[in-house]
Amino acid sequence: MNKYYSLTRHDWEKSLANLINDFGIYAPLFYGEQQDYELIEAESIPHIVYNQPKPATPLKTFFMPVEENVVHIEPPPRRKIILGIPSCDLEAANIQDEMYLNRDYVDPVYKKNRDACILIGTDCHSIQEHCHCTTYGIKPYPQSNHDLTLSLFGGVIYLYTHSEKGAELIKEMEKHTTFHEPTENEIQSLLDKRKEVEEWLNHNNQGLPDYRKTGELVNQSNQEIWKKYSETCVSCGACATICPTCTCFLLMERPGFEKVRHLDACQYPGFEKVAAGEDPLSPLHKRFYNRYMCKYVWKPQKFESTACTGCGRCIEACIGNINKNELFMELANH
Amino acid sequence: MNNTNIYKPIKSKLLEVIEESPTIKTFVLKPEHNFNFHTGQFVELVVDGVGEAPFTPSSSPLIKDRIDITVMQTGYVTERLHQMKGGETLGIRGPYGRGYPLEKLYDKEVLILGGGCGFAPLRSLLYNLEAEQERVKKVTFCYGSKSPQECIYEPYIDELRNIPKFEVMRTVDEADESWTEQVGVATVLLDKIDVNIDDSVAVVVGPPIMMKFSVQKLLEMGYPEHNIYLSMEKNMSCGLGKCGHCMMGEYFVCKDGPVFSYDEIKDKPDIWK
Ligand SMILES: Cc1cc2nc3c(=O)[nH]c(=O)nc-3n(C[C@H](O)[C@H](O)[C@H](O)COP(=O)(O)OP(=O)(O)OC[C@H]3O[C@@H](n4cnc5c(N)ncnc54)[C@H](O)[C@@H]3O)c2cc1C
Ligand code: SF4
Ligand code: SF4
Ligand code: FES
Repeated sequence: MNKYYSLTRHDWEKSLANLINDFGIYAPLFYGEQQDYELIEAESIPHIVYNQPKPATPLKTFFMPVEENVVHIEPPPRRKIILGIPSCDLEAANIQDEMYLNRDYVDPVYKKNRDACILIGTDCHSIQEHCHCTTYGIKPYPQSNHDLTLSLFGGVIYLYTHSEKGAELIKEMEKHTTFHEPTENEIQSLLDKRKEVEEWLNHNNQGLPDYRKTGELVNQSNQEIWKKYSETCVSCGACATICPTCTCFLLMERPGFEKVRHLDACQYPGFEKVAAGEDPLSPLHKRFYNRYMCKYVWKPQKFESTACTGCGRCIEACIGNINKNELFMELANH
Repeated sequence: MNNTNIYKPIKSKLLEVIEESPTIKTFVLKPEHNFNFHTGQFVELVVDGVGEAPFTPSSSPLIKDRIDITVMQTGYVTERLHQMKGGETLGIRGPYGRGYPLEKLYDKEVLILGGGCGFAPLRSLLYNLEAEQERVKKVTFCYGSKSPQECIYEPYIDELRNIPKFEVMRTVDEADESWTEQVGVATVLLDKIDVNIDDSVAVVVGPPIMMKFSVQKLLEMGYPEHNIYLSMEKNMSCGLGKCGHCMMGEYFVCKDGPVFSYDEIKDKPDIWK
């Protein structure tokens, strides 16, 4: 099942032009400084971004949109191909799956959305300022949850099948396209590139405590540091809604015993407020601290999958300029 | 599980609304199909188009075609509930969570401590123990309420007092001339009980402050932490261990609880809030 294929960029783009008739294809495009997933049309194919971290929106929004009716379930959408997913987001799907597809209760909407997607992961060939996946044990190239890996390297597109679904897509493409088998040298260069990027990330994040230490550091911290770092927090919740591993939501009623699910965040005031008016997370710094306890202490106690992938989005999204890596450095150095 | 979509409620006909006190009403519901629950498990009660909130049924788990839910009016959803009348339709999701550990109560002297509306979920336990009275040594039920007017389930109190193995003691914070029982906060009753602590398990349900002081007192009296059970109230949305609202440390109160032994939760943050 696992096999390398290659084709010219020109043939790949022609092939995509065929596929958009049968699939909704989403791939990253650049907007100014930022790239994000967009539904691809014939004209946008040449502008797809390859091998660059990382779309502004995490993969989870395809499975858990900001808002969705969970009682009146729409029939499965047109099959989707999601292209250019970084490894951190693929790893984040693990905790999402543990949460929404566990043995006790399968979330029907999440499952429907997840099953409708073919996931094409990508190697990161560059890094962004706040990327720190390797510090938390995640490689900068796809490891799990994807159907195919794709890289554009030296003007050639390389595909690697990782699942049955991925192999089927290759078959589908073979109707219009001829694939080549990459030489050992080509494969070696891809692997060398992986190593290079990994070393680059490690170097960039030297001294940052790893995922085994973060929990201990948060647990042993005193409240002063949380007060200090939350000073500029405005409770916008961006850090949580943009986080690929945050899973919280709120159900709202709609007439006819229907329900709409909204993404929610423990950073919003009133998240834990109970009827009597008690609200354990009323002080801002306690809300802020709660998110760290959740990610680095409680979730690791309860779930097998990592609850922070080191994608750095929470740092980039914060309008209060709060940097969790600075916070961990400070915790580690005290 | 009662239905396939975990978010879809079972429609239930409101048969009757019973006024228990100025702020508490019992809603007697007939679900579309039989409904099984374990005592102490809770449901999400859905007011169509308005909202839903978690409540622990107050009826006997041995009755399958009817379910009583006793609700104190406190806010948005409960206010709308209190305006509803027999004949209307509500929704129920559940049952959810881990209820009272009946197997831990068998062959014991069971001490049950209820405060205010906490009697509601405990009535279900009392019904259950009443039906299985040959399996327990004795049941001591202590109930505290703000005032005589706010004492609920008066007829049931009389019924319980007529069962030889059951003892009922009540107190109110503020008495009036008609009141003949104890006066003071719920914990004063603990000074009066006749229970062999080494052979006893305690169950406490009530407002956080009442549970806090009750636990303190029970510990002083010599109850081991693992023999004190509490039903925790947290903000809830899904009831399924997914939405995150009810987290208490690593626990999802909706799924891992709401009933916990004190030793399971004593180190968790903000348990009394
Ligand atoms: C396991 C458990 C069992 C319980 N059993 C009982 C019982 O047997 N009897 C009883 O009287 N009480 C019981 N309660 C308490 C009961 O759930 C609350 O009193 C009830 O939630 C109050 O709802 P409210 O909307 O009226 O109050 P509010 O104070 O208006 O709201 C309470 C919370 O619900 C949220 N909320 C309010 N409006 C909405 C909305 N439109 N959509 C979504 N969320 C909203 C708010 O965020 C707020 O934090 C129990 C609670 C738990 C956790
Ligand atoms: S906490 Fe921040 S770095 Fe970690 S997964 Fe979430 S957004 Fe990414
Ligand atoms: S993104 Fe920043 S300002 Fe917004 S809630 Fe998170 S920490 Fe606070
Ligand atoms: S109420 Fe949603 S996780 Fe407990």
